[in-house]
Amino acid sequence: MIEVRDLRVRYGGRLAAHVPELDVAAGECVAIVGESGSGKSTTLLSLLGLLPDADVSGNVRVCGVDVLSASPRELRAVRGARAALVIQSPQAALSPATRLGVLMRRALRLHGRDAGERVMAEAVESVLLDPAILRRRPHEVSGGQAQRFAIALAIALGAEVILADEPTSALDVTVQAEVVGVLRRLREERGLALLLVSHDLALVSTIADRVLVMRDGEVVESGPAGRVLAEPSHPYTRELLEALP
Amino acid sequence: MTAMPLLRAERVTLGYGGRAVVHEVSLDVTEGGVGLIGESGSGKTTLARAFLGLLTPMSGNIWYGNQTLKKADLRAFRRDVQPVFQAESLDPRMRVGASVAEALPRAERHRVPELLGQVGLDPELAGRRPHQLSGGQRQRVVIARALAVSPRLLILDEPTSALDVTVQARVLDLLAGLGTERLLITHNLAVVRRLCRTSHVMFAGRLVESGPTADLLARPAHPYTRALRDAVPRLGGAPPRARGRAEAAPAGSGCPFRPRCPLAVAACESAPEPRELDGRRVACHRAEDVLAAAVGEVS
Repeated sequence: MIEVRDLRVRYGGRLAAHVPELDVAAGECVAIVGESGSGKSTTLLSLLGLLPDADVSGNVRVCGVDVLSASPRELRAVRGARAALVIQSPQAALSPATRLGVLMRRALRLHGRDAGERVMAEAVESVLLDPAILRRRPHEVSGGQAQRFAIALAIALGAEVILADEPTSALDVTVQAEVVGVLRRLREERGLALLLVSHDLALVSTIADRVLVMRDGEVVESGPAGRVLAEPSHPYTRELLEALP
Repeated sequence: MTAMPLLRAERVTLGYGGRAVVHEVSLDVTEGGVGLIGESGSGKTTLARAFLGLLTPMSGNIWYGNQTLKKADLRAFRRDVQPVFQAESLDPRMRVGASVAEALPRAERHRVPELLGQVGLDPELAGRRPHQLSGGQRQRVVIARALAVSPRLLILDEPTSALDVTVQARVLDLLAGLGTERLLITHNLAVVRRLCRTSHVMFAGRLVESGPTADLLARPAHPYTRALRDAVPRLGGAPPRARGRAEAAPAGSGCPFRPRCPLAVAACESAPEPRELDGRRVACHRAEDVLAAAVGEVS
């Protein structure tokens, strides 16, 4: 689903992120962990061509499309449909006056998809929400419901891969557990691929197959999640693990 | 503990615009750190505002020593009890040295370098503005400001939730070593485990369980405390568990946790009174069953 070779993202000559290799297969979860400024979100956004001001080089294929040389039209066909972005606070990005059902219908039509009631209800049920939520507006639902709606939107649009940037950092732990449960189920039942950016090593250790640890724009360590988090070989990974309260 | 608590809430009901959001909460701020745990909307920050004298109870009293806050000497109170909010509370235009100086009596303004040193900051940083500092440095400035009047108690509302883990660890070390009493409001169980001997768990504006932090987390007696604990991801552990539903409308009457509770029975349609059980105070009809299950999990 995602294939990255020698990705470099520069802002005005300064290297913000360098990822030599990153692959995410169908049904797999790969996590990028690191602290503020490590380059983890920059990496994620560059994979969807969402950094117009940055100088991005390397080889990036998402759902078979060469992101760095794709036309805006080709890019739009991948972005938001086959590859969906899930952000930390979706409520901030949803039009506050528009009902969730209307938002979903518009997104489906924009991508030329079936926008029938049944399709929408199924998508919402796949993230364990009641279809009645489609009649509500973004500010009338909780943070956890909004995040699950964002995931439902991705599912309705036929997403094969979800790129999630701190999807549960703004949520309470009990709500986080539900959102993580939904993502795990979608992986198992639909073979959804998941690229997760997170600062929470404990959370990552429970859901990721592989982990990349980033610091100051560089990948300092990568490998199977169990190995990296149980027997870290880089001093920075050890420092991160020891800092867990 | 026989010493009189510095602050005490006595059957306090709090709200906004006549609508109560915290119901009849009684709580002593005792020594050794007190944690107030709960999720968004549980009323913990509202209760903290009442403890700071920023919100007048609809009913009940906040006691400061042997006086209610209504009658207390507010000058002394504001010296004794200081808030520590998130770092965003600093004036962005002010040099941080001036921010700290502002909190000091005029005659003591020379103490700025000493206070910055006390929170582990280079006094040279006094000339910087907040945006020129890292998040961890800004949080230390906020703590230095609170320490300026040598308070007896710090009321901290999510002091480290915006910080990276390595930075959070250093700020927690600083707070643990300060020797000032603390009331800590947080949703982070690991933080209360580190800084608070006693903890109180809030749900839907009510205290559902209170007791020694270590006992509460090792063997919760309230199903909500257990749900919170089990939802925290553990390094290399099983995926976090959602026990019962994480989201549901609160019950109109009866136990507020009932709509989410996996153990709810008919009896839960009447509101449980807080009672003493196994060294803690818990408001749950089924506390014995929760406790028994917890013992089973440990062995």
